[in-house]
Amino acid sequence: MGTSVRKVLKAEKDKKLKRKEKRETTICVASPIIFFLSFLMLCWYFLYVRNADTMYFLQDRGWWNSTSLYLKECMSVPGGLLAWTGSFLTQFFYYPALGSIMFIALMAMTFALAKWSFRVPSEWSFLLTIPLAALLCSDIQLGYWVYILTDVDYVFYHPLGLFASLLLSVPFWQYLPVSGKAKHWISLAWIPLVAALFYYPLGIYALLAAVLVALRTSWKSLILLVPVLWLVPMLETSGSTLMRPDEAWLYGFHKFELNSLRDYSLEIPFYLVLIVPIFFPFFKKLPSGHLLLSQGTMAVVAASICLCLAQRDFRDYNFHAEMRMQRAVEECCWEDVLREAEAAKTPVTREMIMLRNIALINRGELCSKLYKYNNVSIPPAVVSDSIHIRIADQAADLIYYNYGETIFAIRRAIERCMHYGYSHYTLRMLTQCAIVNGETENALKYLRLLSRSTFQRKWAEETQRYVDDRSLLPKCERFRMPLHLYNCGSELVGVDDKYVELTIMNKWKSTLTDDPLAQEVALGCAMMLRDRNCFWAQVQRYYNIHGDGVFPTHVQEAMLFDVYELGMKGVNLSFVKFDQTVLDRYQAFFTRLNQYSSQGMNDQALGNALRPEFGDTYMWDYCVLREVQTN
Amino acid sequence: MKNRPKLFLTALIMVVLAAVSLLLLQKMRHDNSLPTHYTQVDALPRIFPDYVDVTVPPNIAPLNFMVDSVEDVVCLIASPVGEQTFGGDANKVEIREKEWHAMLASAKGHSLLVTVFAKRDGKWLAYKPFSIYVSEDEIDPYISYRVLPPTFVGYDKLAIRQRNLTNFEETDIYNNRQISRGLEGQCINCHSYQNYGTSNMMFHTRMQNPGTMIVYDGKLTFVDLKDQSMISAAAYNSWHPTLPIIAFSTDHTMQSFHTRDVSKVEVMESASDLIIYDVKQNRVQTVLNDSSELELFPSWSPDGKWLYYCSAHYEYQEKYEDTDELLRNYKMLQYNLYRLAFDAESMTFGEPELIYDARSKNRSAVQPRVSQDGRYVLFAEGPWGLFHIWHTSAEVQMLDLQTGELVDVSQLNSSLPESYPSFSSKDRWILFESRRDDGNYTRTYFAYFDRQGKVHKAFMVPEKDPEYFRLLLRSWSRPEFMKEPVRITPSQFYEKMLTEPIKVSNH
Repeated sequence: MGTSVRKVLKAEKDKKLKRKEKRETTICVASPIIFFLSFLMLCWYFLYVRNADTMYFLQDRGWWNSTSLYLKECMSVPGGLLAWTGSFLTQFFYYPALGSIMFIALMAMTFALAKWSFRVPSEWSFLLTIPLAALLCSDIQLGYWVYILTDVDYVFYHPLGLFASLLLSVPFWQYLPVSGKAKHWISLAWIPLVAALFYYPLGIYALLAAVLVALRTSWKSLILLVPVLWLVPMLETSGSTLMRPDEAWLYGFHKFELNSLRDYSLEIPFYLVLIVPIFFPFFKKLPSGHLLLSQGTMAVVAASICLCLAQRDFRDYNFHAEMRMQRAVEECCWEDVLREAEAAKTPVTREMIMLRNIALINRGELCSKLYKYNNVSIPPAVVSDSIHIRIADQAADLIYYNYGETIFAIRRAIERCMHYGYSHYTLRMLTQCAIVNGETENALKYLRLLSRSTFQRKWAEETQRYVDDRSLLPKCERFRMPLHLYNCGSELVGVDDKYVELTIMNKWKSTLTDDPLAQEVALGCAMMLRDRNCFWAQVQRYYNIHGDGVFPTHVQEAMLFDVYELGMKGVNLSFVKFDQTVLDRYQAFFTRLNQYSSQGMNDQALGNALRPEFGDTYMWDYCVLREVQTN
Repeated sequence: MKNRPKLFLTALIMVVLAAVSLLLLQKMRHDNSLPTHYTQVDALPRIFPDYVDVTVPPNIAPLNFMVDSVEDVVCLIASPVGEQTFGGDANKVEIREKEWHAMLASAKGHSLLVTVFAKRDGKWLAYKPFSIYVSEDEIDPYISYRVLPPTFVGYDKLAIRQRNLTNFEETDIYNNRQISRGLEGQCINCHSYQNYGTSNMMFHTRMQNPGTMIVYDGKLTFVDLKDQSMISAAAYNSWHPTLPIIAFSTDHTMQSFHTRDVSKVEVMESASDLIIYDVKQNRVQTVLNDSSELELFPSWSPDGKWLYYCSAHYEYQEKYEDTDELLRNYKMLQYNLYRLAFDAESMTFGEPELIYDARSKNRSAVQPRVSQDGRYVLFAEGPWGLFHIWHTSAEVQMLDLQTGELVDVSQLNSSLPESYPSFSSKDRWILFESRRDDGNYTRTYFAYFDRQGKVHKAFMVPEKDPEYFRLLLRSWSRPEFMKEPVRITPSQFYEKMLTEPIKVSNH
């Protein structure tokens, strides 16, 4: 009896143990899969859901074309193949979802390759995602650095580099039908070979491959590795005139450097990408079966990745809105521009204001709706306390072009190309400027190049029509207003000193034109700058052109304010047909202003109190936003 | 299962081999045979670059060209030694160097006859043949030039390069990427040579590691060519043909941008003087420093007895260098051509002698270059100012000093800017820069100047890929002829640049 009970108890205990083992095995197998799938979803979330505009922007400021000249230029420096392939793949963010899928696919392939190649136990395979997460982080943390990136291949360069390193470190010698000794010698020979053969195509990632090969060969091979790492870059780049001699060893490593500034925090992901794979060969030695240890580590890694990505994701609202607005302006989607402007409740950047004004100009609403949108402005957010970006660095060419200032647009576009390289965006901008200027051959040059890219061909074909037939220009929304303003604008000689907005406004406030559309721009600029002489001169001209005494809403407000509040002498407003609403609101504004002032409110409180009722008026803008803000 | 990796590896190798074979096949696919059926067209082909009826030197590299909007091109070149056909990738004709040079050698003093066959919409067309005249006068085998984007202010990626004109070999003399870090670029400019040789040469560096790199008798020195007597560091320059002397202008440069004019930019000198620098003594001596004259672009005559230059007369209203005032009056800055007699014994100069009054024609003449026989002066002429490559109406002119008349050089010019002309070492070839192809990117052109004083049709420097200059988003500016390549390596220049430049003296 006793024996049979013991047997039953033992059987039950065994059963329990087996169940536990099975559960642990399931966890060991399932949790890394869940972990990795979650990581891929995280990639999708951060790339597409949160940063689709940034990714589109990166491809647009990137550059790839199918010419042999481009290939040759890429291949002339270490990492050339990565640069060429990276810039080719980066193009696919033209459709952010497609680009994101390709990025995620590359992540999955890299993970699978690393797991297979280094025989990493499933329960520890989550460690392989650390460099992949770093790569993801490198794309979403950029912020305003996107405007000054010198790499047109940024998004895919490093993921491809890591993948190539892992691929080249696959121990193929183990599968060769030769003796063990021969295999050893082949693996040793592969260390200098992989570095020497692939240094120019892969740059620093060829050196990483050599390190990985050495690590998986034997400790003794490290003796060979050191001279290889020292000599290969030095010998292969000796005599090269395309880099500093001291750059040879780190060519392909992305430095965030601008003149004397260097932002090391943005480089951390790349340190991880280069350092973590060095530990891959040792992951197979991690203890297996210690569920608590592996799962606990996995939880820590998961939390760290989530925390880092959430922390490093550049969430600044204006940064993203600016990119969306730039694209909308270029595509002449004025409704979208104004929707963005309306949605911005917190202070906006001057570039957002300029882009919104372009939409208003194109809709003929500059002087009637200008103050209905948010005009409270702040400078662009600073990235890591290092980069203070200005309109001149961002979309100065786009803004100049839309004000008909094609020469200044070309100047800014070319300057940027000089610093940061040519891009699809810049070539489109240069093409449009050349067309407006009548520089046909120059436009054709850019169109030829754009037609050799993957996603700009259609744009080039469409634009070719306007080169062939200039009479179509006024009918095309992309050219209509810039051409109009170009033709009506005055010819001056000067510089902008990087003050894009002020340069445009100063020119237009004093531009005397009889063209109704251009004159409204001139009137609007004089009003915004609060230049009384120019304002009244433009009012007079507006009256002469239209002759009916009917003025846009904000001009009426400005006239009332200037005469009755600021005491402008010698102006008789009897020629103006004021809207009753404007008159009523003007009176109500000052009644309320006096009322709040008598309550002892300070300026800020006064502005805030008046804003819901009068925030869309010239008076509020003038009284609350004391200084004319420009950039 | 064990064989799987082996199979994988074998498959991978097979795929790579197949891809390489396909590529090779693709390359070899070009069929250079002439079409048997074609339609004769009563017109000359429109080829790029335009080599129709040009005169070329017998040592020039193959004149590869392309035809737009066609699927395929072959050409038949007839020379005194026979006929040969050439084709290339799609719409390009790429001529093999060996055959080309043999044809040129056989056709010296005669011409090659080129017939172009182009396939359009699946049908072959044969165009009227055109000639390429082969002169008996060789061209200097090398040129050097600056390669840079059509930039206004920045100078991140600049190189001074040299090109062997007898083939397609092109190398850097110095590239600022050797030293630049981030956006801290280095401006490199004003490369020049004594008597077309490279044993004595120089160029300036600005901003990062500023100074002047001078090679004399093959020895490299790095000099800070600025002292208190000079208004700026030495700039535009010219080597004396025999003495160790370089003439420089020193100047205050400024630039402003147009808002509508497609000339885009105006470069002005608000002050400028002339000096000479004795390379051996490391000493500068003022030549001209009249504050109401803006003297620029010194250029020695080949006999070394004259120093040519250009100068604009300008008097500031307030007697100080008011750049705003100058900006308002930029169209008044019109330069005339002058020369000064030079006595090498006493190192003294005579009085300025006006040789070309451009101002009276409401024009501005700059960058004079004298022919080896001393008879002709090439220069660039524009509406005003000195940077004519930005002026759409700028053109190259040639003054005959014997007659005082301008020579007909209409074959050199186009409706777009031409600038920076110079003679080859034997006067028979003219080198200049032009923006005729697209208005913005400067390209190098040559033209034959025969012994009768006639200028022949200009042609673009040939490239291996005829599409090269259409694709290149950089300018080739400020070209100079050279008889030989620069022998100092870029690394040697770089190493020297890291040293402290030697201060110049003015004793």
